[in-house]
Amino acid sequence: MMEKAHKIEIIIDSVHVEKVLTLLERAGATGYTLLREVIGKGAQGVRPADEITGVFRNSYIITVCSEEVAQKVVESLAPLLKRIGGLCLLSEVQRMNFT
Amino acid sequence: MSLAFLVQNLLNPPVLLFALGLLAIFLRAKIEIPQPLPKLFAVYLLIAIGLHGGYELSQSGLTPQVLKVLGLAILMAVLVPIYAFSVLRIQLDVYNAAAVAGTYGSISAVTFITAGSFLNSIGEPYGGYMVAAMTLMESPAIVISLLLLTLSLRDKNNGPIEWKEALRESFLNPSVYLLIGALGIGVITQEKGWLAMKPLFGDLFKGMLGLFLLDMGLVAGRRLKELKKVGIFLTLFAVLIPLINACLSVALAYLFHLSKGDAFMFAILCASASYIAVPAAIRIAIPEANPSFYVTPSLGITFPFNIAIGIPLYYTIIDKLWP
Repeated sequence: MMEKAHKIEIIIDSVHVEKVLTLLERAGATGYTLLREVIGKGAQGVRPADEITGVFRNSYIITVCSEEVAQKVVESLAPLLKRIGGLCLLSEVQRMNFT
Repeated sequence: MSLAFLVQNLLNPPVLLFALGLLAIFLRAKIEIPQPLPKLFAVYLLIAIGLHGGYELSQSGLTPQVLKVLGLAILMAVLVPIYAFSVLRIQLDVYNAAAVAGTYGSISAVTFITAGSFLNSIGEPYGGYMVAAMTLMESPAIVISLLLLTLSLRDKNNGPIEWKEALRESFLNPSVYLLIGALGIGVITQEKGWLAMKPLFGDLFKGMLGLFLLDMGLVAGRRLKELKKVGIFLTLFAVLIPLINACLSVALAYLFHLSKGDAFMFAILCASASYIAVPAAIRIAIPEANPSFYVTPSLGITFPFNIAIGIPLYYTIIDKLWP
């Protein structure tokens, strides 16, 4: 019933979301879930998501994939995160296989 | 500054709603406008100002006077980011200097609208083509600031500027797109079109401006709390650069014989800084720059300064100079 998988969670500046989604697709991730508006605090200070430009707004992306795809995502994401900041978490999870 | 103009400006309900929003933050009153709504107010204001400007442009036509104003607008949109960048480099790194220069080289449509509302209240006319001037002044500063950054970064091993994306965001950001589109619709549909749209985009205009400014007051108040991070240099810059820009634009307007109302609207455009269109474009093009540096001074200091003091001050100067 359960199978091993890898979960990637990415928190990134909302204006750069499209770039990350393209990158996920190129790495072979078949799907994702996106929360367009999340607030928080990090290296760039408080991100209150309280104004219309979106420059103080973060987005949260989650995807579950194989280890191979996860490695590709992490490798291709690293230069982007280095330049624009953000957070990427990788964890091993159990995914329900209901097919 | 004339006291009468100061009072006249402050007694404008939308300006008072801005103050009410600002005050709410300092009194910790829990006022919140649901986030999608300010976006709608912004879209409404841009379409309204575009349609009305387009309609007036259709009445006046493209006269030499209009072309002169548009030329001056482009000149200032190119000039301001260049000298702002040189001043900013005294204290800031190239990324933040370019980002702030781009923000201050561009304009604030809401400051323009509020200034227009002030002119209406004192019965001084201005040309509808000033909306076209405003539209032309939105984008060049972003491109100039990116060029300045590229020149400063030459020979340095840094991340490339994604020009394609940056240019698209400069010229096709929602503000510019909607303004140009609505202006075009206003010109094409002329008086008949404007009269059809007037109940929504004319009669309700001041009320919608009030709602938008209430939200801007709340946001500006929250940004003001971050002033410590911005530092004294940028705080002073945010007050002095609008004054310098206004003086320079008034001198140009005087030299080129602009009408009183047009000279004032031109001054307010040059003195204002963008906090909607440019920050989004800059965030994409120069992610290395800190948004607190380019949004906080523009929205937290320059915008309230122009709304409360700039409008009556620039008008007093023009009133004294013009016959």
